[in-house]
Amino acid sequence: MMYSNRNRQFKSGAVFLTGILSLSLFSACEKAIDLNLDNVKPVIVIDGGVNDLNEVQVVRISTTYSFTEENKFNGLAGAKVVLTGSDGTTVNYTEKTTGIYNSPKFRGKPGTTYKLTVNAQGQTYTATSTMPKKVILNLLTFKELTVANKTRKYVAVIYDDPPGVENWYHSIVRFKGKVEFDAATDDRFNDGNKVNDVIFYDLSKDMVPGDTVAVEFQCVDKAVHRYFFSLGQNLSETQPVSPANPPSNFDNHALGVFSAYTTSSRKALFK
Amino acid sequence: MRSTYRNLLLLILLTQFQFSFAQVKKTITGNVTDGKTGETLIGASVKITGGTTAVAMTNGYGFYAVGTTPGEHDISVSFIGYKTITQHLNLSKDTHLNFVLEPGNQLDEVVIAGAKSNDNINSPQMGPQRMSMNEIRSLPMLLGERDVMKALQLLPGIKLAGEGNSGFYVRGGATDQNLILLDEAPVYNASHLLGFFSTFNSDAIKDVTVYKEGMPAQYGGRLSSVIDIKMKEGNSKETTVEGGIGLISSRLKVEGPIVKDKGSYMISGRRTYLDAFFKLSPNKSISKNALYFYDLNAKANYKIDDKNTLFLSGYFGRDKLNLVNIFGFDWGNATVTMRWNHLYSPKLFSNTSLIYSHYSYVIDNLMEDANFEVNSFIRDFNLKQDFQYSISNKHQLKFGLNAIHHTIAPGKMTATSESSVNPITYENRKGLELAAYLTDEWSVSDKFKMVYGLRLSGFSVLGPGHFKTYDAEGNILKTNSYASSQSVKNYLNLEPRFSASYQLSGNSAIKAAYTRNTQNIHLMSNSTSTSPTDLYIMNSNNVRPEIADQFSTGYFRNFNDNQYEFSAEIYYKSMQHQIEYRNGADLREKDNVEADLLYGDGRAYGIELFFKKRFGKFNGWIGYTYSKTERQFDTLNDGRWFNAKQDRTHDVSLVGIYKASPRWTLSTVFVYNTGNAVTYPSGKYQVNGRTAFYYTDKNGYRTPAYHRLDVSATLDGKPGKKYQSSWTFGIYNLYNRQNAFAINFKDDPDNAAKTQVVRTTLFGIIPSVTWNFKF
Repeated sequence: MMYSNRNRQFKSGAVFLTGILSLSLFSACEKAIDLNLDNVKPVIVIDGGVNDLNEVQVVRISTTYSFTEENKFNGLAGAKVVLTGSDGTTVNYTEKTTGIYNSPKFRGKPGTTYKLTVNAQGQTYTATSTMPKKVILNLLTFKELTVANKTRKYVAVIYDDPPGVENWYHSIVRFKGKVEFDAATDDRFNDGNKVNDVIFYDLSKDMVPGDTVAVEFQCVDKAVHRYFFSLGQNLSETQPVSPANPPSNFDNHALGVFSAYTTSSRKALFK
Repeated sequence: MRSTYRNLLLLILLTQFQFSFAQVKKTITGNVTDGKTGETLIGASVKITGGTTAVAMTNGYGFYAVGTTPGEHDISVSFIGYKTITQHLNLSKDTHLNFVLEPGNQLDEVVIAGAKSNDNINSPQMGPQRMSMNEIRSLPMLLGERDVMKALQLLPGIKLAGEGNSGFYVRGGATDQNLILLDEAPVYNASHLLGFFSTFNSDAIKDVTVYKEGMPAQYGGRLSSVIDIKMKEGNSKETTVEGGIGLISSRLKVEGPIVKDKGSYMISGRRTYLDAFFKLSPNKSISKNALYFYDLNAKANYKIDDKNTLFLSGYFGRDKLNLVNIFGFDWGNATVTMRWNHLYSPKLFSNTSLIYSHYSYVIDNLMEDANFEVNSFIRDFNLKQDFQYSISNKHQLKFGLNAIHHTIAPGKMTATSESSVNPITYENRKGLELAAYLTDEWSVSDKFKMVYGLRLSGFSVLGPGHFKTYDAEGNILKTNSYASSQSVKNYLNLEPRFSASYQLSGNSAIKAAYTRNTQNIHLMSNSTSTSPTDLYIMNSNNVRPEIADQFSTGYFRNFNDNQYEFSAEIYYKSMQHQIEYRNGADLREKDNVEADLLYGDGRAYGIELFFKKRFGKFNGWIGYTYSKTERQFDTLNDGRWFNAKQDRTHDVSLVGIYKASPRWTLSTVFVYNTGNAVTYPSGKYQVNGRTAFYYTDKNGYRTPAYHRLDVSATLDGKPGKKYQSSWTFGIYNLYNRQNAFAINFKDDPDNAAKTQVVRTTLFGIIPSVTWNFKF
């Protein structure tokens, strides 16, 4: 993951460069503008997960809506959601509120391949995901970086990467229960090490000393990692030239992802 | 088809046969040089009158060869910007004759380089475009930095890739499909400061020729264009020093004779000092940061005798970016070219070149718990042998061989023992590119001329290494390992090149060309601007050579004694084996990058109009391009053709240069183009508690149109003195147009319920001033 930061740092270098230039000579600037974006036929989005905690597992089904509308969860009612596991489990979900489908309490098991089947509006969508072995989040630390007189503060996850196997991680930063940022990483450059991974989201944007930051650390499979990695690129400050919908593990052109993951969470007091 | 070839061949043989019975001609050979500096002149015209008329043009080394019958002749030698000289000669045997041209009066002097004033009509070659350094000197430039590459982007068919970006698109090609040669050495990443400036210091440059069609067969290796840049050789008469001080950089050039009239040298350097501003800061985290680039051009030549000349030239440039305790990054090019010009006989001219080309970057992560360094490079050893054989005044034969050994090191990561990062070395890739070519410039009649040729291009992917094969989804099917120098895969391509002109009258012609080009080295980029870390890959068992076929035709006309020049051209280009990243590709996976590649086709077509006033107090041009550029990949956009990112419907450039008085020159540039094709969201949704964007058609939207007006004024010192200085004042983006460098979509930071569209503008209105001197 560290290595991936080079692009971000390279970018911060570029931003720094343009920043310096703009101070002295240029007038680089950002401005919110109006763009004429198309209205297209809504498509289905399935966002579901199974984890290794004994709790109600949730599948969220919604449809896309116009860019200019207010942000919302555009829930889709009346779907039939069934989960089957390679260990023989079958779980039926019930619709709790519009678009939110809950399972009875159960615990997913690492090593199991789960298949989620969704029937909605006469169409069937399926996805499979295998829950990896669990790696525990040991600790959170904070990290400060000062570039061009501006100090940014980041949280870092510390964990022991198991040697000899490929691992994919998904870290989610929450503040006051709201997801602020997430990052998909892997162990390509630090297999088997004690890893200290900085999550490049500037906490000081929203938080003041005394606030509590919560980080959920998930172990995910390769396809889920790729989904969140790609999604993260689309949402980053350096959006790709021609972004595309992240590669979903659902068939039948559904957007979204189904992830079987292990989870461990920690909180830290932001100083 | 085959019988056509046979007939053509027969025809050629017959014409050759004829010559041997014709009256035995004598050949005059020699060089044409500038009387003031001793620099050889490229594209000067040597014309023989009296009896038969014959014309020859000096080649890239200032050499000419022209044949005629024995007897009394007048030879006149001319070159734009120089006084024409005429010499009387009684020819009885093969003769070596050098000409020295004196520069003309600078005032009414006219700044079109190259060639005779109606060469654009006369030459059978379609489309080579030249820019004189004089012209470039007069143009307004960002921060007053003269930049050859940016000046070229003002010609029709050559489009700037983005604001402050040295990359450019030629007739629907990508930025990596331009063959950029500096003294014959390919330059891999021709930009400084993340693309704001090109690597070419215009002080050191003598001549720039651009081919966007009908590339002669001696050039090969890239699909879209050839930018042939030749460095100055240095003043062989006297030592001169010139330089300039600008807002962000200074330049200095020294040139002079090694042995008067026999050898000369030129050294030209440039360094930016943006980081000097950091030093002023009391804050240590700023004052210790570094941000600069430098480059050095050096060249020496020595004329051993009339038959042998040696050249040695080199370029060294590097960018450095350093953020204290965080991050260090430097990158740059080095090229060395050794050449030997030899005259085997008056008719057979030879050039042998040994070229070394190296591009590398180093990234340092200086954070204590993740300290590591990444090294990457691309390196070429290149041997070229070119012959020019003047069979007769009707046939000029060029043939030769080229061998390039490529090594690409995608990355080597080293780390300290405390670092949480493991050291990794990716396998180097090696390849051997071999080419042979033959081309003939044939004057069929006074009116009908053609250049036709063939280039045979081979590429061997060499071991050692592990080569993977993939299924359609990019999963590894198997891995084969190869020993050192073992051949992994061979590719062979035949590239026909053809260009012909038919002169309708003394001042108008129609021309047509067909060209096939192939490309074996590919640049993988996924960002708006070129990044020094963009990955170069070569052909492999998966990646095949890119192929482009281009047909073009045009009408060329000069008016008013060649004062005005007009051309209209149309082209159609079809491209195979184009490469794109798969959606959501992870570009860090350098050992497995081919898993993320998709292969498809491309097509481009367009109309280019060009009108130029070539001399007079006021000169300049207007260029207009209408074009379409598309790509088709089975797994992108449901297999439908989509606009390539460089697709732009309209492109206009206007250049005006006005000599207001003997000392003041005013100039202006206006550019307008339709926005690039891009992908914007057509909806949104929520996933994992965050807002995500829904994309439909690939590149289905366009960025807002780009336009800009620049002006500049140059005040020259009083003429006639040995010591000369000048001031250039410029304003970039005069009306402060907020052109979009990037457009991002995100949640409104002030209102979480809303999303917003944010436009980043890099350069608003920017004034500049530069002081230049010469003595």
